[in-house]
Amino acid sequence: MNLRVGSRLERVLAGGHFAVTLEVGPPQGSDPEAIRKKASFLRGLADAYNVTDNQTAVVRMSSIAGAKILLDEGLEPVMQMTCRDRNRIAMQSDLLGASALGIRNCLCISGDHQKASAAGKLKGHPGAKNVYDVDSIQLITILKGMRDNGVQEGGDKLTSPTKFLIGAAWTPLAPPESFRVLRLAKKVEAGADFIQTQAVFDVPRFAASVAKACDMGLTDRAPILAGIIVPRSARMLKYMNSNVPGIEIPDDLIGRMESAKDPKAEGYKITVELIQAVRAIVGIRGVHLQAIEAEETLVEIIPMAGLLPRPEVK
Amino acid sequence: MIVAEWKPLPEIIEKLRGHKNVLLVGCATCVAECAAGGEREVETLAPLLTMAMKADDNPIQIQTKTLERQCEWEFVEQLADIIPNVDAVVSIACGIGIQAIAERYPYMRVYPGVNTTSLAIREQPGIWMSRCAACGDCILGETFGLCPIARCAKSLLNGPCGGTRKNGKCEVDENADCVWRLIIEKAESRGELNKLLEIRKTKDWSNSRHGGPKRIVREDLRP
Amino acid sequence: MDLDSKIGNFKPEIVVLYCKNCLAKDSGPVGNMVSNSKFSARLVMLPCSSKVEASHVLKILAQGADGVEVVGCPEKQCRFLVGNTRAEKRIEYARQLLGKINFDMDRLGMDRGENLSLSQLISLAEKRANAVMNIGPNLMKG
Repeated sequence: MNLRVGSRLERVLAGGHFAVTLEVGPPQGSDPEAIRKKASFLRGLADAYNVTDNQTAVVRMSSIAGAKILLDEGLEPVMQMTCRDRNRIAMQSDLLGASALGIRNCLCISGDHQKASAAGKLKGHPGAKNVYDVDSIQLITILKGMRDNGVQEGGDKLTSPTKFLIGAAWTPLAPPESFRVLRLAKKVEAGADFIQTQAVFDVPRFAASVAKACDMGLTDRAPILAGIIVPRSARMLKYMNSNVPGIEIPDDLIGRMESAKDPKAEGYKITVELIQAVRAIVGIRGVHLQAIEAEETLVEIIPMAGLLPRPEVK
Repeated sequence: MIVAEWKPLPEIIEKLRGHKNVLLVGCATCVAECAAGGEREVETLAPLLTMAMKADDNPIQIQTKTLERQCEWEFVEQLADIIPNVDAVVSIACGIGIQAIAERYPYMRVYPGVNTTSLAIREQPGIWMSRCAACGDCILGETFGLCPIARCAKSLLNGPCGGTRKNGKCEVDENADCVWRLIIEKAESRGELNKLLEIRKTKDWSNSRHGGPKRIVREDLRP
Repeated sequence: MDLDSKIGNFKPEIVVLYCKNCLAKDSGPVGNMVSNSKFSARLVMLPCSSKVEASHVLKILAQGADGVEVVGCPEKQCRFLVGNTRAEKRIEYARQLLGKINFDMDRLGMDRGENLSLSQLISLAEKRANAVMNIGPNLMKG
């Protein structure tokens, strides 16, 4: 196997296994126990665990810290880095530190804008000055340069390179749809090693986009993990359908949640169906599960979906 | 033009407490174009502040004047006869004009009556939209005449993020078009979509405010 | 003088800015002042209600008028097509500004009228005067 960094996620994908990653939200506080507790019931359920980076611009324990805590618990983390809060200097510095701490996977994303993200009762920091010094594709380029050429963005050399499997996000159904596969191509060209997509609900439309990516040879170069969000209620689905760009939810799924006697169980059922459906799509090499603020539901769902046991890889 | 909007009136009132004679000065150029600081706005704000200060138990006299441009020393000079008779100036020009007055009359208290916000165009009567971020490294030639630095909330350079709404608007501001959607549509209409496949490298921000206060010297124009 | 007597003696001073096209052709001479036991009104004729700017009405109030009444032609009947609509927007804007400095917005308002006789015009002034009676005298007086 010709591995770039040798992370577990990389080995699982290189070995041809259907990969499972899941999202862990860090606490809005400084207690590491919060993450250790999640690690204890999520252990063994996934190949790697994404730790979000101040998602929706609400301050949470940093992704790097959260990732290190997971690492210490024996779980493989995927750190996330947005372009909103750090300039290229802070990014590279944090990446050197994260690599030193043993973190081996990094998802590069633009990040939710601080003025329009914090939802519900959370205030966030809408008055903060954002950074956006570089965009997600430039960040991918930076990671690639630090890993493969041992060089900083500004040209100075690194005394030792970083070791990251480089991840990128894909939202195939946000307008303009015609450009989304081309944007994916740019990310792969820039150096993305794996892709995690926005949550899939409309499988046929998603499959059509994936087919285009296959045609362009992208799925061979960067395995795609389909994003799956666990539905909790019809209201949640309606909210996401109207308010989250790139999430397209067919009426019949909303209908099922509305008429379900046990919405929680119906949500599990839908999740399992979606996982099985995307698994059948050529080019999809895994799933990225998101049970927002409800990671414990994955304890039931992952075995229900036939995703256990996770493969043994050296 | 440079656009500004009135500060919340309580902010201005707070600064005027303790003063008796105030000059309210406007500017007939940019801020007049965006209906914030021209003669009409001066004549609207003056009676408003007069009434507000009377109600605040701090009656004041307000003199008014509108200069052609507050960013030119020769026009700012026109205030030389009025300034000695007042104990404060409220300027509703952009930050440049306010500072010009403060610099020319350093002993005078000068307060801003507006918040200067952007370089914008009047898209339609009553609607102004930011167009330029003064980044110092203009890429309009590569983005089909649409600026993603100013018009994309995240200043993305390689295409839209996943936040373009179903109706093509930006997830940050439902009234703003996703400028990348506009760029792509324009590229498509010209059959030049391939130009957007090139990976745009990291931007050099040093010729903008990020490189420090910008100074331009033209030797050919020095005396 | 106690408060009750003060209000009892309050005779609102209203300024009416009216579009001349609101008047009936045979309204007769309108004059520029009307005064009775309840209120007084200065009547100012305009070629169109759109001549009114926010600055004008605010100045009139800053100078001590208790109320300002703008009279324009009915919807779609402006001789200059949309002058009355523009006026309405400006008057509403000026009302909002009054609200922002804690002055009662009802000191200012706009009504529509057509074929008005002098007495009908005066009724509109009286309507404003009645609204202002409840608010009290403008503190900008004296």
